[in-house]
Amino acid sequence: MDELESDKHVKYILSIEKKKDDVEALLMEHLRINGAYWGLTTLDILHKISAVDPEEVISWVMKCYHEDCGGFGGNIGHDPHLLYTLSAVQILALFDRIDVLDAEKVSIYVAGLQNEDGSFSGDMWGEIDTRFSYCAICCLSILHCLNKINVEKAVNYIVSCKNLDGGFGCTPGGESHAGQIFCCIGALAITGSLHHVDRDLLGWWLCERQCKNGGLNGRPEKDADVCYSWWVLSSLIMIDRVHWIDKDKLTRFILNCQDKENGGISDKPNYAVDVFHTYFGVAGLSLMEYPGLKSIDPAYALPVDVADW
Amino acid sequence: MGGDSSSEEVGLDLLQQLELILEHDKLIDEVGFVHPDQFPALNEGPSSSLSPVCILGQSAADILNKDTVELHVVQYDEKVFWNKDHKLAISILVLPQLYNAALNAYMDANRRYKQSIRSQINKGSFDDANCGCDFDQFLESEVLKHTRALLILSYDFKSAWNSRKLVLSRKQELSLFVDEFQLSALILSYAPKSEGAWSHRQWTVKMIAEKVHDLQELVKKESELVKNIAEKSKMNYRAWNHRCWLVLYMTESQVLDELNMSRKWAELHVADNCCFHYRRRLMLRILSNGDVKEGGEKPFNYNSNVYAVWKELQWNKLLIQRYIGREALWIHRRFLSQCWIKHFANNQKSSSPHIEATGLDDFLGEEFELMNACLNTQTDDELDDYQSQAKHAVSYILWISKQIPSCSEVKLQERLKEAVNFEDLFMKYPERLMLWKKVLV
Ligand SMILES: [Zn+2]
Repeated sequence: MDELESDKHVKYILSIEKKKDDVEALLMEHLRINGAYWGLTTLDILHKISAVDPEEVISWVMKCYHEDCGGFGGNIGHDPHLLYTLSAVQILALFDRIDVLDAEKVSIYVAGLQNEDGSFSGDMWGEIDTRFSYCAICCLSILHCLNKINVEKAVNYIVSCKNLDGGFGCTPGGESHAGQIFCCIGALAITGSLHHVDRDLLGWWLCERQCKNGGLNGRPEKDADVCYSWWVLSSLIMIDRVHWIDKDKLTRFILNCQDKENGGISDKPNYAVDVFHTYFGVAGLSLMEYPGLKSIDPAYALPVDVADW
Repeated sequence: MGGDSSSEEVGLDLLQQLELILEHDKLIDEVGFVHPDQFPALNEGPSSSLSPVCILGQSAADILNKDTVELHVVQYDEKVFWNKDHKLAISILVLPQLYNAALNAYMDANRRYKQSIRSQINKGSFDDANCGCDFDQFLESEVLKHTRALLILSYDFKSAWNSRKLVLSRKQELSLFVDEFQLSALILSYAPKSEGAWSHRQWTVKMIAEKVHDLQELVKKESELVKNIAEKSKMNYRAWNHRCWLVLYMTESQVLDELNMSRKWAELHVADNCCFHYRRRLMLRILSNGDVKEGGEKPFNYNSNVYAVWKELQWNKLLIQRYIGREALWIHRRFLSQCWIKHFANNQKSSSPHIEATGLDDFLGEEFELMNACLNTQTDDELDDYQSQAKHAVSYILWISKQIPSCSEVKLQERLKEAVNFEDLFMKYPERLMLWKKVLV
């Protein structure tokens, strides 16, 4: 059986920073802070976060901060959004430096995006999605400021996005999708509201994501993709149904998606690697207690020693 | 990024060319990013598909040997751009330069625009209204121009979409929204999953909904756009999510129309779970007839609901038997059975002229027969599709057994255990072993 090429993955992640010139890197610029979170969390799971200079990272993160409103942009000079604000807070948590934040101000920004029906807008322009509910709740929980929002309404909105198949979508009536399910289950787990979930029904939907090749897909009729190792597995763990899938086969699938020469993990075997799938592959292995990895918290998506504040 | 000034100048020059092209050909509906090496190949054959190579179109040949191309008054470098018949191709070799130039131009215009807004707020809006207005308009058009170029290159650049929203929400002119639909449609033509473009479209629809009462025509057009994009981009979650979201704005009769029209499409795309989900969304809207909106439309009655679900069940059975091993069809059947069991199966009185209302046992009996038929069509050559069909059929019955009272569940599972050899199935479908073992009572 293949082994996890930890050293090569570390090298790969550290190398991403250096090639800023190619088109692909440029087109990712607007969500650089998400990329930083994926890369840094992977390094931490691999016990190699010491390879980066915390001060350098933190000062860059804080340059993405909007003092006027309390949110973070995806890069310096970019508009604030919940997706980026969560990544910023997670990165600071990784380095145990939440103290550099004006937690009050950030939490007011996040809480200000809650709507009357309990849902969250991603930013001032009003797009609503259960992903943003997760971002808000996870972020506020890390900052110990959940009391700033109406948790009950937030939970009720998420529950209203539940489908008859047990899964969850972006908004009420939206198709079930493993990524959205992670967000909804994560938010419900953090707020202690998992009693709203039919664990057997959802567990059934989730474990039917396992394909013949052992990998997981994100919804029916799709091919397996490494990133769903994270979203499906973490959800299964949170609802205590992870024993319903074949973990050995999934482990083999992920290991098979490694670039064994240059490091990095791709979405499917023999595809091009990227930092996103490298993170989800390594995080998925960590959830399955692959030897030598730090274990990761399925709801906060941070190493447990970090999430354990 | 080089950073040297000559490269920056070249980038700026290219950006101006691109923006001129976009300004003069407002109807551009396709963009492709092409390596110049592909140019010779592009000159051959007619354009037929959406692949970037073909977007250049057949008429590229007759202009390729000129140095510069004239389009009205637009001069551009023909090694970098190609524009004809409302199609635009951009050489991938210049993308980094072009992107950086567009980024800088946007950031600069955006900064100045926001500054001007701030100073107006500080001064109070009535001060020197005229000159402020001209300047404002200039900055607005700068922002719109540069964001258009930047978004074509980097379509999920949120801040750039936001800047367009800012301009539009300050102007509040309906006519301007047309441009937003055009730009997002253009981007979706080559990036059909672009979150930025879909989200911007949704925002635009919401803005219009605040001002216009009758949205029927708009909703219909949006729904058609999704249909066309879904044709080329399979299982596109974002696209279908847009369509599901539109249901909120549909009238009851539009819901029925959509249900009718998506039927044919679903038959032609039986593996596209998104389309079946869309039908579920529409059906649930019909079934929730209790909360009919104001406006006096006739609420759907019980009989037509029974009939709608029953018809869908029959149709789905036909598809399952015709297209072997399609997970999406079985998932759809789960939903339909669930609805049937919940709403109608325990109702003994038949009130529809079309169907004999069946009780739960009759219904389960029929479903069991369907599964049996699917198992028995399994041939010796063990084709993949037949294997999947058997897996989905057994899974379906097991799943249904969890949706009914436990006394019925026990009966159904006992029948199942008699009909199939589970030890055999566990060997064949190891990826379902754990789940099935857990759910068997
Ligand atoms: Zn993926």
